[in-house]
This record gives sequence, C-alpha cells and structure tokens, in this order.
Amino acid sequence: MNSDTEHDFERDLSLADLLRGIDKQRLESALQALLGTAFAVSDHNGEYLLGAADLAGDAPSLALYGELEPIGQISAAIPQNRLKAAADLIRLLLRANARYLMASDLHLQTQQADFEELQRRHKALEQSEQRYKALAETLEIRVRQQVKTIENTQLKLYETEKLASVGRLAAGIAHEINNPIGFIRSNLSTAAGYLTALNRIDELLQTCADLSSLKAAWQREDMPFIQQDMQDILQESIGGAERIAAIVKDLKGFSRVNDADWEDADLNQLIRQVCNVAAAELRDKAEVYLDLSQLPLLHCHPGELGQVFLSLLMNAVDAMAAPGKIRIRSACRENRIVIDIRDNGRGIPASDMSHIFDPFFTTKDVGKGMGLGLSVARNIVKAHQGDLEIKSQPNVGTLVSISLPLPAGR
Amino acid sequence: MAIFDEESKRLSIKLVYYGPAQSGKTTNLMRLHDILRPDLKGDIMLMETANDRTLFFDLLPLGFKAPSGLLIKFKLYTVPGQVVHDSTRKAVLSRADGVVFVADSQRGQSTNNGESFANLEDNAARVGIDFDRLPLVVQFNKRDLSGILSEEEVLRRWQAAPWPVLFSSALVGDGVVETFNALLKQVYDSLDREFEFQARHDLSRAAFIAQASGQIDRSPP
Ligand SMILES: Nc1nc2c(ncn2[C@@H]2O[C@H](COP(=O)(O)OP(=O)(O)OP(=O)(O)O)[C@@H](O)[C@H]2O)c(=O)[nH]1
Ligand SMILES: Nc1ncnc2c1ncn2[C@@H]1O[C@H](COP(=O)(O)OP(=O)(O)OP(=O)(O)O)[C@@H](O)[C@H]1O
Ligand SMILES: [Mg+2]
Ligand SMILES: [Mg+2]
Repeated sequence: MNSDTEHDFERDLSLADLLRGIDKQRLESALQALLGTAFAVSDHNGEYLLGAADLAGDAPSLALYGELEPIGQISAAIPQNRLKAAADLIRLLLRANARYLMASDLHLQTQQADFEELQRRHKALEQSEQRYKALAETLEIRVRQQVKTIENTQLKLYETEKLASVGRLAAGIAHEINNPIGFIRSNLSTAAGYLTALNRIDELLQTCADLSSLKAAWQREDMPFIQQDMQDILQESIGGAERIAAIVKDLKGFSRVNDADWEDADLNQLIRQVCNVAAAELRDKAEVYLDLSQLPLLHCHPGELGQVFLSLLMNAVDAMAAPGKIRIRSACRENRIVIDIRDNGRGIPASDMSHIFDPFFTTKDVGKGMGLGLSVARNIVKAHQGDLEIKSQPNVGTLVSISLPLPAGR
Repeated sequence: MAIFDEESKRLSIKLVYYGPAQSGKTTNLMRLHDILRPDLKGDIMLMETANDRTLFFDLLPLGFKAPSGLLIKFKLYTVPGQVVHDSTRKAVLSRADGVVFVADSQRGQSTNNGESFANLEDNAARVGIDFDRLPLVVQFNKRDLSGILSEEEVLRRWQAAPWPVLFSSALVGDGVVETFNALLKQVYDSLDREFEFQARHDLSRAAFIAQASGQIDRSPP
C-alpha cells in the first residue's frame, strides 16, 4: 500500500485539523455565551484559531491536549475552574472529531488500496486483451498454439482472482469479461478445425491436377459453409475483443482515485463510466435511465466525485426490494451543475432522516454497510464548494441532489 | 516502522493487537488503560458497533520521557477480528513495530486462531513487514473459562515456534501487563540497533519496560 497517500489515518492531527468541519461561528458564540467573556484559542505555534486574537497577553490560559501532548491553549480572564471546564468541553469535542477523522481517513485509505488492486488487475486484463486482438488478425497462423496461450493466460487470470478484496464490483466485471473470452476461445477452436480442413485441400492441391476432384474435395470438406462460418466467428470474436476493450477503458477512467490532481472533467462522462463500471452490480436489481444535458467542463477531483456517484448509486441499488428504476439527471443552471439521482426504492423513514449523514449510521447488515457512504460523499461535495441534499418518501423513493458551483463569470 | 522526529525529539512506536474475532483484543487494551501508569496516558479510543465488534480499530496512546529528554510515544492499536474487515486489518497492521497475537483458549477456537495467524503472516508480507524479524508474542486468553486447551497442550503445539507464549484472563486483567512487557522487551531489542537507547539515551531495557508500563502502584491513594 502506498503509505504516503493524503488519507493516512495515523497522521498527527493538529488543533486546526481537529477543528475542521466544526462550525466555527457557532462554537465561538457558544463558548462566548458560556464563559461570559472574551476568550482565545490558539495552537501551539501561537496561531489564533478561535475567539479574540487581541485578548490581553496576561489572561490566564490552559493547555488543550491532543493524544498525549498539548496541541494548543485556551485563554480567558475567568477563574481557573471555569477555564478548565471550557478546556474539558473543547477536548470532548476534539476527541469526537478525531474519532471521525481517523475512521473516515482509514475508510478512504482502504478504499484506495482496494482500487489500486483493481487497477493492477486491469493492467493484466488489458495486456491479454491486446493479445486477443492480434490473434484475431493473424488467425490463420499458429491457431493451435494461440489457443494454448489463451488457455494459460485465462487460467492465470482466474487463479489470481482473489476478488473478495476488490469490493462488490469486481466479481461482476470479471463475469462481464469472462463471457467474451469464453466465446472467443470456442471460436478459435472451431477455426482450428477449419484450418485442418483447409490443409487437407492444400495437400490435394499439391498432388492432383484435375479440377473436378478438387471441386469434389471442396464440397466434401463443406468449404462453402466454412467460408461463411469463418466470416461469422471472426466477426463475433472481434466484437468480443472490442467489448473487453470498452470495459477496460471505462474502468481505467473511473479508478483514478489516487490522482491527487484536480482537472477539468466532463461529469456526464464520469457518470456514464460509473454506470458502466457498476453495470454488473445493477443487473436484475435496477434499471438506470440517464437524462444528461450538455455540461461545461468542471474543475474538480474526478476520482473523488466518481466515488460519490458510485456510492449514491449503490445506496439506490441497496434500497430496491424488487427490481426498480434509477434516474440520473444532469443539468446546468444559474452557474451551477446540478445532478439528481432518483430511485424508487424503499425510501428513508422520517425517523432516520436526521441520522443518515451521521458517520457510522447504517441500516444495513454487519459487513455490508459501513455507514460512511453519505458522510464521506457530503464531505467530498463540500470540498468542491457544493451541496448534497436528500429528500425521501418511504415506499416511494429517494432523491439525492448534488449541486456544484461553476467558477463565476462563466 | 518507528518514526523518529528529530526536531521535537520524539520517537513514535506502533504496537498492534491482532487475532481472531472476539478473542479479547479490545479487552486487553481496556485493561491496559485501567492498569498502566506511565508518565503520559491518553484517552482510549474505542470504535465498536453496538454489539462490541471492533469496526475500524481501537487506540490507546502512552508515553514517557527517557533520561536524555527523548519522548517515547506508544500507539497501541487493535485490529477488527472479523474476517470481512481484511482491508482495514491490513491498513492498521502496516508499519507496526510489534504485534501481540491474542488467541482464544477455548477448544472450539483452534481453527479460527490458526486462520487468523496465517492471515497475520499474509498481511505482514503485503504491507512489507519482515515477519521473521517482527517482535511478536502470542497470548492465549480467556484462561478463566472451562472447555479450554490446557497450558501443556498449548505449549506443545507452539513448541517449535520462536515466539513467547503467555496466558491471560483479560477480562479480569490477569496476564495483560505481562504480555505487554514481553512485547516491550522484544521491541527494545529490535529498535535498539537503530536508536541506541542505552548509549545515546541512557535508557536500559529494564527502565524502558518499567517506564512504558509505569510500575504499578495498586494501593489506594
Ligand atoms: N471469560 C472471558 N471473556 C473474555 C476475556 N477476554 C475477553 N472476553 C470477552 O470476549 C468478548 C469479546 O472481547 P473483545 O475484547 O471485544 O474481543 P475482540 O478481540 O476485540 O473482538 P473483535 O473486535 O470482534 O475482533 C467480550 O464479551 C469480552 O468480555 C477473558 O479473559 N475471559
Ligand atoms: N437511496 C436510498 N434509499 C433508501 N435509504 C437510503 C438511501 N441512501 C441512504 N439510505 C439510508 O441511509 C443509510 C446511510 O447511508 P450511507 O451511504 O451513509 O451508509 P451505508 O450505505 O449504510 O454504508 P456504506 O455506504 O458506508 O457502505 C443507509 O444505511 C440507508 O438506511
Ligand atoms: Mg452507502
Ligand atoms: Mg475489538
């Protein structure tokens, strides 16, 4: 595993890290009201993070502790016991946030590791896919040998098929790829048989000069049929190889979770890739309808947004008691890109609505849901200055809306 | 791998409690939190679901200052034992400086112990830990229960293995500190080569262990 990814759950958390995601103004005004006087919170470098930066330097202060050591301090002109109460309160808040930050970083870290594994596997698939293409073009030569090579490659591919760790998508994708490999293989064996027939005619060609016996041999070997069938199976095999190539291409685009870089991306294309990648997981459970309108490129982190779409899509699939419908709509209005994901699944009971963004809240079985999907999704969207909202009606369905701002003056 | 921060004179050592589901890893950490009295002891961070199954990890931070002024910080983690959480287990194990393998003494648990130990070996290899050089102690827990393997049976089975085997009843705290100390002993030896505790920090092995576990004063204050 890559140990210096941006989501290292073990990194030391500074006071500023630990305050991240906490509404600064609300915290300040709550503390202000509780203490009844001006206060200041600074980190151990003396940088002010909360309260009045201009507080008198001689105000009493107390250290704020991280894991073991002080990471900052709080100062206010109040009695020591009340200052200590405030420090305790802040510490409780920081602990809760540390717990969440570490868990969500670890979650992202393991997800990245799983995707790296997926990528590695696809490199292997891509290579064998290229081998198939070359094979289809030079079919006449060494057919038998190539069949052997494919057999070996395929064997190796599936021996290393420890799909469990690659998450729920991988099994379906392997099936998707396995299918064309199956018929390409069977076509190649058929072609090998045809080559034998051709060789027999070739032998006759060397020895006999009389056209009619040659014609008879031609009919005997059923060559007219073979000509037609050869055409068909080549066509089919090329189609299969193209299908594999398409799957690999989608996956490559989608599984770029490690690219730390922001880039200009077409969200429609990202949505299509996510749907393709999830196709096997969706089969028999839900039908996806795409209603995408032309979008300007968005400067974003495509790998992370892809994860958001996938996570929401999986939530929608999981909400289906019977095969259902998922509609993904994209639009651009008022300088924002809006993406709606609507499902007609079981919906969210009103009593759960206030909890669904809580980290670790899940209604799914142990091992199935971590309860981090939505909270991580919302954080990613927030990092893009966007909003993620959910409306739901039990037994009718759920609508998740993501709205992402475009740069001003566009 | 221990992280040494030259600037703040701080050495961070990571120890991991590994083992099959429900063997008592979290309980070990909770008891250590109750019993140990090192100079610095942080809050214990437990991450479990309603039915006490560890979901991500538990964490107990400890620390003390060596005579040289070096701050030695320990981060004690547990992994989730349930089979499905393998990616998490791998991430928590990565960069460990020492491992306590917590096995369940109950007769019916031998297969789970074996599979979990094999999984530890696999994951160590995946995250680039040299298993043969990794400080490791094996703890057979839940000695208070009936229907457990006898000490003789356990020792016979582990006879050929190079790791110390200890017995514990984490629920009541028996053997928990002894296990921790046995690991510290190995960790000291393995890190001493790089950090020269004795020569550069005036820190003997006995003092390292005594300070990390904070020699216990159980008498009431
Ligand atoms: N009788 C007895 N029970 C114990 C002992 N140690 C732990 N337990 C019990 O075993 C159960 C599981 O203990 P945990 O410490 O949560 O186990 P764990 O290894 O952290 O489990 P996971 O987090 O699922 O991997 C709890 O009910 C503990 O009270 C022991 O020494 N004796
Ligand atoms: N489209 C939806 N329809 C019905 N319920 C939903 C939907 N999306 C989310 N929920 C509810 O919200 C809960 C939290 O969702 P979230 O994505 O955060 O976690 P999860 O799907 O349970 O687990 P994870 O995404 O971490 O694997 C779900 O367990 C489910 O009860
Ligand atoms: Mg989810
Ligand atoms: Mg546990």
